[in-house]
Amino acid sequence: MHYPEPIAQLMESYMKLPGIGEKTAARLAFYTVNMQEEDVTRFAKSLISVKRDLQYCSICGNMTQNDPCDICEDKNRDQSVILVVEHTKDVISMEKMQDYKGLYHVLHGVLSPIEGTGPEDINIPVLIKRLQKDEVKEVIIATNATAEGEATAMYLSRLIKPSGIKVTRLAHGLSVGSDIEYADEVTLLKAVEGRREM
Amino acid sequence: MLLKDISLKGYRNYEKAVVTFSKNINVFLGENAQGKTNMMESIYVLAMARSHRTANDKELIGWEQDFAKVSGNVITEKTSYPLEIVLSKKGKKARLNHLEQKKLSTYIGHLNVILFAPEDLALVKGSPSVRRKFLDMEMGQMSAIYLYHLVEYQKILKQRNVYLKQNRKNKKIDKTYLSILNEQLAAEGAEVLAERFSFVKRLEKWAQPIHADISQEKEELILDYASSITLQSKKDKDMIMKNLLEHYEKNERREMEQGTTLTGPHRDDIKFFVNGKNVQTYGSQGQQRTTALSVKLAEIELMKEMTGEYPVLLLDDVLSELDDDRQTHLLKSIQDKVQTFLTTTSLDGVKKELLHDPRIFTVINGQIEMESE
Ligand SMILES: Nc1ncnc2c1ncn2[C@@H]1O[C@H](COP(=O)(O)OP(=O)(O)OP(=O)(O)O)[C@@H](O)[C@H]1O
Ligand SMILES: [Mg+2]
Ligand SMILES: [Zn+2]
Repeated sequence: MHYPEPIAQLMESYMKLPGIGEKTAARLAFYTVNMQEEDVTRFAKSLISVKRDLQYCSICGNMTQNDPCDICEDKNRDQSVILVVEHTKDVISMEKMQDYKGLYHVLHGVLSPIEGTGPEDINIPVLIKRLQKDEVKEVIIATNATAEGEATAMYLSRLIKPSGIKVTRLAHGLSVGSDIEYADEVTLLKAVEGRREM
Repeated sequence: MLLKDISLKGYRNYEKAVVTFSKNINVFLGENAQGKTNMMESIYVLAMARSHRTANDKELIGWEQDFAKVSGNVITEKTSYPLEIVLSKKGKKARLNHLEQKKLSTYIGHLNVILFAPEDLALVKGSPSVRRKFLDMEMGQMSAIYLYHLVEYQKILKQRNVYLKQNRKNKKIDKTYLSILNEQLAAEGAEVLAERFSFVKRLEKWAQPIHADISQEKEELILDYASSITLQSKKDKDMIMKNLLEHYEKNERREMEQGTTLTGPHRDDIKFFVNGKNVQTYGSQGQQRTTALSVKLAEIELMKEMTGEYPVLLLDDVLSELDDDRQTHLLKSIQDKVQTFLTTTSLDGVKKELLHDPRIFTVINGQIEMESE
């Protein structure tokens, strides 16, 4: 089928989103044509703003509007503990729990040769530098309980341990192979309580 | 264990079919290329969430269809439940009790099947990968834990092999990370190895008397799990793990050069010996056939021993291939205890007196109908 150019361009953009193929893109594009002008404008603006106004915190890697992020700037938080997570969305899950008062470090992935991710490709070097100068006493590793998440945790543990900093693993309460993203708050609380030293 | 009924939608050449089975013997009778094997395959798919004929699920969807659905009701000693597999271009969904199972390891094992087809001679004659697949399929049905370890092993193996290849691309290998992959792989590998080793021992225990019986006490069958890991007792997981780690260390340079993991359960094999001679190399056609049959029949008993239920038996085109003695043995050993499905183009050459109360279905061009009794 031949689409009018603006439609085709919009479809091409939609198809850049995960899980959207040509059929769905066409449906969304034709739907957009019929949307209220004002809704479309808001949509377009928030797309741009998400890119322009958000950045990664230069200290912890969390997604933020200001650099450094609010959590890193908050002097009331316990500066001696860093919780290491795979993704920004894991920080959000943790914060919802309202029980953890330390700092974070976001790796943006796990070690996975298949996906071409080695130690240099995720936010590990910054973490190591951070540990050298900050007054950190404990690092809690909260990568997912998958094989890759475990391997990443073990790797970090071996890197950090020689420095004398305590390394713990958030593990209990998370079922094998599960993602932090889907865990409910109670499970996460249990997980923090039951962290173990590595 | 019984498959009470099955219904197909858009599956291969079946647009729609609903069939209620006998708890004893079900015969799919029809000319070539009518859909007998397809019907058999759909039972296998319901059990294993994959076909035994192809790794490509899309082939199972009818040519004119967007999706294929196979569903059926299973009755066990204690309970009954519906199973359902839906295949579409996007992927597959497996439902147990109407609930989608995200992990196949929680789905598989609710309908245990043993399939015997002419290709199964390859179990004896074929390459080691055929026998590894045999082990994994059968053991996976009996133990969700085995399946879990196997899947983890394969995942980590893939990661490690890709990582080893970095060396050839002149990217440096981080020894700390490699040693972590080694430990992870050895831990899962030890689980897989220990389970396989004890499975083969138990299979041998059942296969020996069957083989002796079919060969009229002239032959003794021995099964051996052949692994690069040499150990007195392969039951000790810590020892196996240590042994695997030693192998990785010893082969490190070679593995980096070749970009692949050289030892472990993914390279192992089963060896069959009849009267001390390897059947694969020295056995006659008949000895190979008897061996394959003994192993298949042993599996039925082993599955009963391990799961408490007899599996469902699928015999595709094998009856006519077996001589009278072997046919008699096969039919006698399943009689009145194992629900059986068999395909054939004709009932001539089948020992009818051994088919107790068979339910016969005629299959013509994707239509299946029960013959009036
Ligand atoms: N995806 C599909 N959609 C529609 N028809 C298909 C599909 N896959 C296979 N077929 C058809 O199914 C038929 C083969 O069926 P099947 O393998 O069950 O034959 P059979 O009855 O077992 O024959 P034989 O006695 O030769 O083994 C072929 O005619 C083939 O064209
Ligand atoms: Mg066939
Ligand atoms: Zn920050």
